[in-house]
Amino acid sequence: MLFPTVQFGIFFPIVLALSWALMSRPALWKPFIVAASYVFYAAASPVFCLLLAGVTLWNHGAARLIHRSPDERAKAWICRLAVAGNLLLLGVFKYYSWFAQGVAQVLHSFSLGVPLPLLTIALPVGISFFTFQAISYTVDVKRGLIEPARLIDTTVYLSFFPHLVAGPIVRAREFLPQLASPRDPSRVAVSSGLMLIGMGLVKKVVLADYLGRTVVDPVFAVPRAYHAPDVLLAAYAYTAQIYCDFSGYTDIAIGLALLMGFVFPQNFNSPYRATGFRDFWRRWHMTLSRFLRDFVYIPLGGSRGSRLMTYRNLMITMLLGGLWHGAAWTFVLWGAYNGVGLVTEHALGGRLRAPGWLRWLITFHLVVLGWVMFRAESLGVTWAFLSRLASPGSATLWTVPVLAAIVVAIGPQLLPARPVQALQDWIGRLRPIVLAPALAVLILFIGATVPSQGVPPFIYFRF
Amino acid sequence: MTPAEPKHRDDNLMDRFDRPGLRRFRARDAIIAVAIGSVILILSAGGSIRKAGNSMRAGIGRDAVLAVGDPAGWLAGRLPVQHAAHVLTNWLSPNLDLSGFVGFTTTSSTTTAAAGSIPPVTPDAFDPGTIGAPPPARQPLHTLLVTGDSMSEPLDQDLAQLLVPDGVNVIQDPHIGTGISSTVLVDWGKLSAYQVRHDHPNAIVVFIGANDGYSMPGPGGREVNCCSVEWATIYAQRVREMMNTYRQGGAARVYWLTLPTPRDPARAKISLVVNAAIEVAAEPWRDQIRVIDTVPVFTPGNRYRDSMPINGEPTIVRESDGIHLNDAGSELAAKLVLGYVDKDFTH
Repeated sequence: MLFPTVQFGIFFPIVLALSWALMSRPALWKPFIVAASYVFYAAASPVFCLLLAGVTLWNHGAARLIHRSPDERAKAWICRLAVAGNLLLLGVFKYYSWFAQGVAQVLHSFSLGVPLPLLTIALPVGISFFTFQAISYTVDVKRGLIEPARLIDTTVYLSFFPHLVAGPIVRAREFLPQLASPRDPSRVAVSSGLMLIGMGLVKKVVLADYLGRTVVDPVFAVPRAYHAPDVLLAAYAYTAQIYCDFSGYTDIAIGLALLMGFVFPQNFNSPYRATGFRDFWRRWHMTLSRFLRDFVYIPLGGSRGSRLMTYRNLMITMLLGGLWHGAAWTFVLWGAYNGVGLVTEHALGGRLRAPGWLRWLITFHLVVLGWVMFRAESLGVTWAFLSRLASPGSATLWTVPVLAAIVVAIGPQLLPARPVQALQDWIGRLRPIVLAPALAVLILFIGATVPSQGVPPFIYFRF
Repeated sequence: MTPAEPKHRDDNLMDRFDRPGLRRFRARDAIIAVAIGSVILILSAGGSIRKAGNSMRAGIGRDAVLAVGDPAGWLAGRLPVQHAAHVLTNWLSPNLDLSGFVGFTTTSSTTTAAAGSIPPVTPDAFDPGTIGAPPPARQPLHTLLVTGDSMSEPLDQDLAQLLVPDGVNVIQDPHIGTGISSTVLVDWGKLSAYQVRHDHPNAIVVFIGANDGYSMPGPGGREVNCCSVEWATIYAQRVREMMNTYRQGGAARVYWLTLPTPRDPARAKISLVVNAAIEVAAEPWRDQIRVIDTVPVFTPGNRYRDSMPINGEPTIVRESDGIHLNDAGSELAAKLVLGYVDKDFTH
């Protein structure tokens, strides 16, 4: 079930009302919210509810075993086994076809047979997110950062529908404490939640989908049909689109959770304001960055070893981060590109002095270049796209609405933080009874911009 | 993901909604706010809720949406709010205005032709190539329209990549989630007429049918369910109407791809009927309509397969949904289409 759909528009008010009605009785609320979340997930793929339940049981069992075991070595082995199980599941569903096809191509070039059946496997929606959350739970129990939860709490944590299919990646130690006692019905950030939902809908449906439809999709489909001005516009447009699409989803998810009394971690912090790769990754998909830092980079040794080891760790982390997004060489290239960026920045170590605006300008355009690799269907399309930047010609896609959409998507991130924050706070103080009709009217206008075939899925649903 | 961070610094900003200046409300306010918003939306867009339900496949989800959508649509239709909202927001709609075009004829005859009323066979029914006659001279290809449902993606991109460098104007016009048997989202009868008038293509590639299987109105307005002979007849009639529009009286050539058999047996049953209907629909104009049968290529004997040899190399050709062609499969389909196009056109 997508957030910006009629189905969800019917589902959520019912769930919200029942959720608060049952909140004071956790013995009823928890099974209810699990059932609601599984209904939400079943709308996308009923059969994969079993998979979600399996992941829950597997990690819950592992966490219990780890906690009971007195032997540190045994704890470590159980943890490794549990993480391996999660990664195996992710690998089979997400990477099997890509891997098998690659192996087949290599072996075929040596006139050898195909050792693996060449099958396509349906990708369960949200698998990358809920397996990562499951890993974080098991590992945090192993590290002694949290106590193992009751089965019903683990189930609520992994299936809670606002973050189930595309994050943010909420850590168990952020979510489980919120289950320890019923949410306080007299302290709900209602207006902030409504504002985030409205902002998210505008970002996704109005800005991201419009830019995708009018500029990004046509140019990335056949770059050779366009000249430098349009290709450049498409690169900026995709930069705006992917931010609005993903942060729009996150805004809606956080807003829905707020209305239900829960707080999720922040996932974006004006990423296009960054003045370096390191700064960018502190602002973009922050929950993934934290996950990779805590579960890949630091366990690899982080920056504790030699300079070369640090570079190796950065490259491995970013390559895995790229591959997490999907089974394609373009994502590997994008990960490697970001890895090289971080390594270069680390190696320079602040020796290059440049004014802030210049650092921002360079970083922004390096990020845009990275998005070209990320968006292209193949390495060939990446190259075709970039080579068209050297092809002068007419600008056929530069229209006022397109430019306005890009400016509206990226511009506010460059404004001073304080006035933007003040505006958000002002909206957050408005009474919900005032904000609700405004949001309804906004949804009417947003709905009018939806083409007949409906709202395209969020980009990160594929990951 | 930054080196030398403190191991568990509180960088999740979980307390950002607790800062001074932000106001907290009661849970009841949240419920009332959402309820007010829902009522406003029901009154001003109840018809859209019903339309969304009607566009869904049969099942619990559709029943649930229609349980709200039907009364909402009824209520909204009787109040002026919906009309006012439509007037206020319609200028934002990205959808084509198809109001001036004629849609599918809903009174398709599905009765057997009576004796004495045998439809005449015309020369258009013969593809010269099939009877050894000399083919007509090839014409320059100016504009190729690639259209259909999601099946037409990324076929449209592949064809564009092959033909754009030759100066051909390739128009990609996919309409995701639509079908010929359902006119809720798009009436392909109207849309095809619009496309011809708007784009003036002299070749049209059509790949559609993955979403079909909806019941259609038959004689007397009675709903005919998939996948009887009667349903196939109505479907073929609609396809024939589209083919007739696209061929533009013989001025254009149409390349209509059949559906490769999908993995799901229920969908496979529909695709079998859709493919049979396409073949029947094209019969009067075989010299202008090329039916490109993808079944022998991708799913010989109507048996689904994920992979097949391409140039001797084992290759996955289907998406994980078991319906669509993946990039490799689509590339192959594009070459198949181009083989037919090259018989009729120069570029």
